[in-house]
Amino acid sequence: MTDLLLSRVKADDLSRLGTDDYVVNMGPQHPATHGVLRLVVKLDGETVKQTTPVLGYLHRSIEKICENRTYPQCITYTDRVDYVSAMSVNLAFALAAERLMGIEAPARAQWLRMIFVELQRLASHLLWMGAFGGDLGALTPFLYGLRERERILDLFEMTCGQRLTYNYIRIGGVMIDILPEFVPRCRSFLDYFEPKVDEYEDLLTYNPIFLERTKGVGVLTAEEGINCGVSGPSLRGSGVPCDVRKQQPYLFYDQVKFNEPLEQGGDCWSRYKVRMNEMRESVSIIRQCLDKLEPGPFEAKMPPILKAPPASEFYSRIESSRGEMGIYLVGDGTPKPWKAKFRCASFNNLYVLDALTRGWKVADIMAVLGSFDMIVPEVDR
Amino acid sequence: MVSLAANIIGFVTDILHALYAMVGLSFWAAQLDIVVVVVVMFGFTSVFVMFLVWMERKVSARMQSRLGPNRVGPFGLLQTMADAIKLTIKEDVQPVHRDKIPYFIAPIVAFVATFMGLVVIPFDKGMVVQDLNIGILYVIAITSFTVIAILTAGWSSNNKFALLGGFRSSAQIISYEVPLVLSLVPIIMTTGTLSLNGIVLYQQQHGTWFIIPQIVAFFIFITSATAEANRAPFDIPEAESELIGGFHTEYSGVKFAMFFLGEYVAIIVSSAVAATLFLGGWLPLPFLAFLHLPGFVWFMLKLLFIIFIVMSFRWTFPRLRVDQLMDFGWKVLIPIAILNILATGFILLLMAKGA
Amino acid sequence: MNKFLNYFPGILKGLWNLFVGLSVTVRTMFRKTNTQQYPEERPEMPVRSRSMIKLIYDGEKDQFNCVACMMCAKACPNSCIKLEGVRMPDGKRRMTTFKLDFSTCIFCGYCVEACGFDALTFVSNEYENTVYKRGSLLQDEQAMKWVRPAHLAPKTEETEPAAVPAAQGAPQ
Repeated sequence: MTDLLLSRVKADDLSRLGTDDYVVNMGPQHPATHGVLRLVVKLDGETVKQTTPVLGYLHRSIEKICENRTYPQCITYTDRVDYVSAMSVNLAFALAAERLMGIEAPARAQWLRMIFVELQRLASHLLWMGAFGGDLGALTPFLYGLRERERILDLFEMTCGQRLTYNYIRIGGVMIDILPEFVPRCRSFLDYFEPKVDEYEDLLTYNPIFLERTKGVGVLTAEEGINCGVSGPSLRGSGVPCDVRKQQPYLFYDQVKFNEPLEQGGDCWSRYKVRMNEMRESVSIIRQCLDKLEPGPFEAKMPPILKAPPASEFYSRIESSRGEMGIYLVGDGTPKPWKAKFRCASFNNLYVLDALTRGWKVADIMAVLGSFDMIVPEVDR
Repeated sequence: MVSLAANIIGFVTDILHALYAMVGLSFWAAQLDIVVVVVVMFGFTSVFVMFLVWMERKVSARMQSRLGPNRVGPFGLLQTMADAIKLTIKEDVQPVHRDKIPYFIAPIVAFVATFMGLVVIPFDKGMVVQDLNIGILYVIAITSFTVIAILTAGWSSNNKFALLGGFRSSAQIISYEVPLVLSLVPIIMTTGTLSLNGIVLYQQQHGTWFIIPQIVAFFIFITSATAEANRAPFDIPEAESELIGGFHTEYSGVKFAMFFLGEYVAIIVSSAVAATLFLGGWLPLPFLAFLHLPGFVWFMLKLLFIIFIVMSFRWTFPRLRVDQLMDFGWKVLIPIAILNILATGFILLLMAKGA
Repeated sequence: MNKFLNYFPGILKGLWNLFVGLSVTVRTMFRKTNTQQYPEERPEMPVRSRSMIKLIYDGEKDQFNCVACMMCAKACPNSCIKLEGVRMPDGKRRMTTFKLDFSTCIFCGYCVEACGFDALTFVSNEYENTVYKRGSLLQDEQAMKWVRPAHLAPKTEETEPAAVPAAQGAPQ
């Protein structure tokens, strides 16, 4: 509306019109910013002119703390880096430390790790789906997602005892072997869950209101995404095949068959669809892993005190639920790492928020933020 | 055959007139009757609103695979009572630089104006407070009062965001008034009367309810009614995950409760109008007429059915953005409503020519 | 032109998808709910649930199993455990005081894993551990004392999970 008026005003009059833009805080406490993220939004009426994220409200100096803890003790801190997807971060750290120390986890441990990381991916995507729906106003998918997530967390609790911060994937293998009833319970859960994804799609995907809110909103081109360091489902929604599981397979991902869901739109809807398809792929991966599980030790033989060789370094990358999770470990011959740097997907994904929301309305900030599946503990560490 | 409702009304009227005679106020009998009816109406609606709040919580809970309130009272029925008591004893926080009189009046207008719409709804044959022969016009005019309440609330709060929320909300309500009225025009054209009772009698005469020939109008009406009441999926002004709080940001305690309950009364009025116009009011379901239930019961069942539909909209659909909301109202609902009017007019002409 | 031609089919398709969405929520209304009414229906905690850490007290020998080897204190990432021991006249070590600060404990389980003397364990049924004062979370050995019921197997058999019975916890 203002554009129509402004176009009739001569260019030199524009400076004298002088509409003020006002700066609004989508403050650290906000139902939709997925945690304590502060967005300073400069608005012109209803249109966004600039979005500046202010970080640090959840900074717990995990990287600094890890410099003063032994390698196994660091694993307990990695749980808290991304508490929605804790198994993935455990795994990244364990892979980095194993590489530094020259330990190889036995086959059964690798298969178990794969099962748990994929189950964790399902749990994380279910929570994302709920939060995304909630941002847009559909409050019901949140409850449905949590209902399924409870079953996954029950599986986790049965195995390692915790529902959120597992400390399960250790250096050299896993903490403890699964119980015999895990496999049938997991299979029955997968059979129950697979049609549910279709149900959630029924509720949201082609809903005209949902389409209006997400189609064409927040379009990220492939080039922009690659240049800005976006990774994971957010980049696959723009058509770039960037799955770390395919490019640099870790664990036994080269021995299981799965597709990499890609969408070409680059908008919020494409990113949403990629994640829904990823849930289906995860189900298929878990089934294949359960079939290929062989008996054996769940932990490698390791020295009682784990030391990395002096002046050693390694960067391990895995595909976490949000994108590429990387841990750069530097060892110095002592039982404690010299430096552990966490490269978290959400931190890099957050960068493009400003560019994607300029010129759009306030309500679209929510849609874009939700579609990137941004988790603040990952951003702030 | 005189209906049960008429029997009860006659009986109660006799008792009341006897009471007036005892007190010596027989001269004012007619006016006192109206006062009694209004008080009964008010009481009934208040209780019904409390029931509706409970129903919303239960329905939303069941849709989300959980139980609703079930601790306060049997099946949680007294939950709304507990919430009402909580809101009443809350501290009334008021902004210092507010506009005092409009701030005080706005919730009252929101609450009371919507009640007045119930005056013309026929709950049973002859059971209507006042069967105005401009029934529909009256209802639509009365529901427009909420715009005044919202604008007043937004303005007097002395809050930039509440004002903007008030503007958005009133723009939404005004733009959805048009399809609301336009969707009712074909019915008025067909029946030739504005009186709600008359429309029900027309449906009785012709045996079909208006939902069958006017299904398009039914959908338009339900959608516009939810938009009028600021309910999801049109609840941008009062959504929690939005930036701007909405016109009722600066209200707390009883004043907030009045806005909240006023919204429910608006739902009741719109659903009652929909039940009367499209679903035949107090007429029984054709194939279940042998049950001989009083017309009042049929009316309440239909009312609850439509309210259930309105509630399930809220918990299933995401929210529309403000400009998309306006687009939808002006570019989709109004053209379809106009096309509906044209089509109905055309068919009426054909039928008249043929007869 | 495309938009013009798509007007009515678009509306009908949208309406159909709205109905499909409504059918999902209305269908869910008639299914069983997932609510567990908490104080009356308590959850059944799995055996390995890391609910509360307890010091095992041997009823027969009338002493704690702990020998104050300090392995748990070294293993703890947050240094929650402070304990002291004394060497008895017969050459064996025994623990005298054991303090675990539950306000900093993250229930990672390293202390339980590190203990080689079956002195520490997780008791899965004790998950209601809220207190009114933060100071009460610093528990000493008397508060953490737990006698293992006769029917439960000790820690060494946990590598064969089939031997572990259904519920490990203090008798209700």
